[in-house]
Amino acid sequence: MDRTVGTLAIGPFGIGTRAVAILALVLILISSAGTSLLSSAGAFAAAQDELPVADAGPDINATVDDEVELNGSASTGFEGPGDLNYTWRVVFKGNTTILYNITATISFNESGRADVNLTVRDSLNRTDWDIMYIVVREPPKTWLERSLWTIVGTCILGAIVAWFLALVIRKLRRHEPIITDAGREKMRLARKKYAKITKQLLRNPMGALGVAILVFFGTLAVIGPWITPYPVKEIAHFDDLLPPSKTNWMGTDSYGVDIFSQLLYGARTSMIVGVFSAIIASFLGAAVGLYSGFVGGWKDEVVMRFNDVVLSIPWLVLMIIVAAMMGKIDLIGIILIIGLTGWSMTARMVRAQVLSVKERQYIERARAIGSSEMAIIRRHIFPNTFPLVFANTILTVAVSILSEATLSFLGTWPVDEVTWGTMLSYAAEASAFQNNMHTWILVPGLCIVAVVLGFTLLGYALDEILNPKLRRR
Amino acid sequence: MARKSFRMIIAKRLVNVAVTIVGIMVLNFMLIHLMPGDPISNVIPKNPKFDKSLKWALIEQFHLNDSLPEQLAWYMYNAITLEWGTSYQQNRREVFDIIIGDLRWTLLLVGISTVFTIIIGMVVGAYSAYRRGGVFDVTATSVGLFFYGMPVFWMAMILQLLFTSEPLGMSWWPQLPGGGYYDTEKFGAELTWSLPMALSVIEYLILPSMVLSIGYIAGISLVMRSSLIDTMTDDYILTARAKGLTDYQVLRHHALPNGMPPMIALIAMDMAFVIGGAYQVEVVFNYPGIGYRTIKAIDDLDFPILQFIVVIGGVAVVVANFLGDLLLLYIDPRIKIA
Repeated sequence: MDRTVGTLAIGPFGIGTRAVAILALVLILISSAGTSLLSSAGAFAAAQDELPVADAGPDINATVDDEVELNGSASTGFEGPGDLNYTWRVVFKGNTTILYNITATISFNESGRADVNLTVRDSLNRTDWDIMYIVVREPPKTWLERSLWTIVGTCILGAIVAWFLALVIRKLRRHEPIITDAGREKMRLARKKYAKITKQLLRNPMGALGVAILVFFGTLAVIGPWITPYPVKEIAHFDDLLPPSKTNWMGTDSYGVDIFSQLLYGARTSMIVGVFSAIIASFLGAAVGLYSGFVGGWKDEVVMRFNDVVLSIPWLVLMIIVAAMMGKIDLIGIILIIGLTGWSMTARMVRAQVLSVKERQYIERARAIGSSEMAIIRRHIFPNTFPLVFANTILTVAVSILSEATLSFLGTWPVDEVTWGTMLSYAAEASAFQNNMHTWILVPGLCIVAVVLGFTLLGYALDEILNPKLRRR
Repeated sequence: MARKSFRMIIAKRLVNVAVTIVGIMVLNFMLIHLMPGDPISNVIPKNPKFDKSLKWALIEQFHLNDSLPEQLAWYMYNAITLEWGTSYQQNRREVFDIIIGDLRWTLLLVGISTVFTIIIGMVVGAYSAYRRGGVFDVTATSVGLFFYGMPVFWMAMILQLLFTSEPLGMSWWPQLPGGGYYDTEKFGAELTWSLPMALSVIEYLILPSMVLSIGYIAGISLVMRSSLIDTMTDDYILTARAKGLTDYQVLRHHALPNGMPPMIALIAMDMAFVIGGAYQVEVVFNYPGIGYRTIKAIDDLDFPILQFIVVIGGVAVVVANFLGDLLLLYIDPRIKIA
């Protein structure tokens, strides 16, 4: 009874509570199991839908011997970044290194560009990949290396000043007038001669056009690298291979560098390569030609045979093989390659001129009054060959600029430098025409054509003015 | 100066040719020898279990342990007996076969474009000199100078684009094949001579030879022009005109024969540059000649090919110069070559 009463008494409540409790429990159980089942099933399905996405991180600028950290933790997959399989494939100068962790360190012992390919693979064997680049540069130079050219320049300038001072002091000590009348007259004549040459040059339509082109590109070479809109030697300012737009007048290259900036920058390097290698080639050629023509006999024969050999091997092959021999090439290297392989034409020409000058009567007279061989070369033969060499040097500059472009195109470019030739080479590599970036190939090429045309016109005009008798021959 | 007999001059020239060829071989040997990379490690398989004794056998076979002069002697001996070895790549084919195979294509390319260059260049140059200062002269000279300063590979890329697309949507624009040496899809990889195949070869030759010609036409016509202008100012031209010859007769029978010798010398000298140009053209158009092979061999460090392919180019230039000299001697008896 009590129980019943009690039950009854507490009945509704008891039943109610129990029922509610059971119901609730069942509900909770069902729902929780259900939801957990449902939700876990749903979550699983969603996660499996999530394909792995590789993210190799941004491009990296590094220096030689730096420990570069490759970090793939931004990659996502359904298991979380830690459970993915990471494969780093680093291609640097044709050598491939493969690394297998989420983070990896690698270091490079020379400068260049490394292509990094990150492949991630999840447990269902699905993959994704991402590319990035590591640009490895030479470590920053010490102050000595940086100021080397300044020091060399100062030394040369100092030597000239010292020589001049010594001359003045010697004259003062001998109580001679510093500037004699004869000296003044000489100066006047020299000035008159140069003024005449300049006037003739500018009157000649070919010469004037050449001078105009060269003034334009010369100015560009001096100021070009300072007025580039964006830095040339850093990467990742823009996306790769952007088409021409208002911000990037000529688009960007395969590493996201502004092409118009490269064009401005390349003016200086291209001109430097052209001018300096032509100077080296002409100097060597003139020296060999003078020696061989003046000495004569079997020595001449030996030198000329060697000259024939160098002249006969197709110039391009000779340059490529010398370049392959030198391995890593910087700007000075490419100047040396072009300069050291391009002297033989000049040598042959100078020799012919020396042979014709040597037989003239005033040489015999000079010998009769007891001039030494060196004095004859210095005072008679060299001045008679110089105009020829000078005009030829200008023409050689044109050839050297072409050689640099060709060498770069065929795969031997100066490390870390931007020239018009390397631009063309990168453009061809990125198949710019197929990507509708016509300006990338057209404009640097036209710049090369213009500069070469300028030097050729100037050279021909100078040749006509300086060597009228030779041309008549 | 005592007049030398024709035979003596030719004998001396021949000796020079031989000396120059030997010089080219020696220089080439030295250059290749100085190139970085170990020739043997290219031949043996990269396998740690590899038998070392085979390596020693190879070194012995190629005389790599000998001194430098001995190696040079072996190199010369092999070159003369045509034992040029086998390539590292190309399934170890004989170098001699490879080079002869490539040489055909380069000779075809260089030969055809040189013939066109000489004919067109001379005609243009002669006419410019004949009508000096006229519209044709000014146009031809400026266009010529423009093409003269153009990098060959760049011109090749531009023409390749121009004739493999339709500029400005012109559907009638001629389309030319932009690479290769004949239609390999249609005729298969095996070279068998038949008329349609020869036509295909010619079709594939148009663009490369055009590129190679354009630059050098300018060079030839400029020199032809200045050389003719020089002779046209001479007195005997005035005499010829005074006795009533027509302009054409003066040009053909008086000016041209005297303007020719510098041209021949120039064409022979330019051979080295033409070969250099052919290299670039071959690379751009994937034309399987000597140049394409050389660039590939340098990339692969394929020393056996490099050793002889450079010599071939040099010998071609030397022979061209020799023939030029002979021709000069024949047509211009005034020349006394010391």
